[in-house]
Amino acid sequence: MKEATLRQILVVTDGCSNSGISPVAAAALAREQGITVNVIGVIDKSELGEKGEREIRDIAEAGGGLCDIVYPQQLAQTVQMLTRKAMTRTIHQVVNKELKEILGDSGIDELAPDKRVQVAGMVDDLGEKSSLNVVMLVDTSGSMKPKLSAVQQAIHDFSISLHSRSGQSRMAVGSFPGKQKHLDIRIPWTEKVQQAHQLTSDLAMSGITPTGPAIVEAIALFEQDKLPSTLKDRYTDEEENDDMNGSLRDHVF
Amino acid sequence: MSSKAATPDLPKYFQGKWNRKSYHVLRELGRGANGTVYLVSQDGVRRAVKVGVEGMDILMEVNVLKSVQQGRDSKVGPLLCDVDDLVVNGKACTFYAMEYLEGEQLDRYIQQAGTEWVPVLIVQLLARLDVLHKHGYTFGDLKPENIMVSQTDKTVRLIDFGGVTKQGSAVRQFTEEYDRAFWHAGDRKADTGYDLFCAAVIMVRLTVGKELWKSSLSEPRHTGLLCDIIRKSDSLYPYRVPLLKAFHGKFASAGEMRAELLTVLRERTVAQPRKKAPKPGKVGGGISGLFVASLLLLAGTLYYAWFM
Repeated sequence: MKEATLRQILVVTDGCSNSGISPVAAAALAREQGITVNVIGVIDKSELGEKGEREIRDIAEAGGGLCDIVYPQQLAQTVQMLTRKAMTRTIHQVVNKELKEILGDSGIDELAPDKRVQVAGMVDDLGEKSSLNVVMLVDTSGSMKPKLSAVQQAIHDFSISLHSRSGQSRMAVGSFPGKQKHLDIRIPWTEKVQQAHQLTSDLAMSGITPTGPAIVEAIALFEQDKLPSTLKDRYTDEEENDDMNGSLRDHVF
Repeated sequence: MSSKAATPDLPKYFQGKWNRKSYHVLRELGRGANGTVYLVSQDGVRRAVKVGVEGMDILMEVNVLKSVQQGRDSKVGPLLCDVDDLVVNGKACTFYAMEYLEGEQLDRYIQQAGTEWVPVLIVQLLARLDVLHKHGYTFGDLKPENIMVSQTDKTVRLIDFGGVTKQGSAVRQFTEEYDRAFWHAGDRKADTGYDLFCAAVIMVRLTVGKELWKSSLSEPRHTGLLCDIIRKSDSLYPYRVPLLKAFHGKFASAGEMRAELLTVLRERTVAQPRKKAPKPGKVGGGISGLFVASLLLLAGTLYYAWFM
């Protein structure tokens, strides 16, 4: 459990998806492959509406992640906080599972509080040191236009946060809808995003919001990253008839 | 699953699962990123109880509060009294009880008491931070809302330890207004300089008041904007050297910054009858040097912004 790679998709949107596979199903698919899906709803003066809010909650729930609805000004700090909290939660779950295997039925929650405080310290440490790969998916459909400068700021800002971690971190940024596909990769995997990146240029003009298909395409981005060989051995032994890393049943440790 | 910890409704009365202490809930005190704080009564003693959905986040705060309390007289934050679980709707939630600090949030206190209190309270704040730093932590989310001035002895205490981070790790929580990275003055690694930067911005913000503060913040943010405010403010100008040093991460410890602020504070009090104390030449050289440095930084930022 020394080296951990946590994988997350972060969706930034302002409304309901209206094209292709349900984003909730797509999020469930991601979770199945060890990828946590977090969602941030960005609102202006206009409200998101009950349906939009519900969808955001459902995507996060199915994706094993967290969600929040914020104004553009709060975007940067929310991105960082959601990411960190989701990481803590993932590690908590993994540690809990391992503890259950050792202790039988009882996991962390059955430990006395002062013992759990020590576990919390360990979870915190693991979170800081583990590798983290995040794909940020930005909704660039019409209504998001006025918010894109805040999103751009948040992307750069998030890169600073990732850079400040002890563990290795990488991020990629995609926008949906894309020109030909559902998703355009705006920034491929990188350890540091340059400020010069322009989100607003060269956008596909369209009224459709294919959140679900974008998540599915983002999952494929993780298949490019190789697992450390030792971990790969450990897991490929367990998996039967498996032909790719992407379909690991669990979070990768 | 919102990040704004949707805390379940607490029953009017509850008992801890492990330590069996019983609590009567009096009212809600406030909400943080990790949970909600309630005023409670435990056997007639008033305490503050923090409850959150994500037990790990709550326990991490407990971890910090515990280690800060090893030095008895530190008074950095509230004393920890109990850590336990309570069951709401069949689901176990972790909570901790702490000493209830009765007082006013720093910004509200200044509004009532006047801005002459700002340097006095910042000096106190730096003493608290110094203790925290010596324990190997950075406060992180330092802002007026997380600083309390106690009613009885007018001392500054830190509340909400949700952002407290081990030195060297990435800051766990921050607020853009006071965040070093947001001002393009460095990264978000937890170190002494991070907190001191926040403290300096808080000092500026509290001295100039809300309206002027809001109107002075243009994008992109850079510390040159803060320097402009300092130059125009009679109350801040005398503190320009320590403030600029904090913006540029030139202090090795909170104690060092505290000492420099104290020196200015004393000089000011002594020199009060005169209109403006003449600047000693030696210090003056240092100041202009620092201003040149900040101008260079400003130029750099503008150059940077050009390509955004």
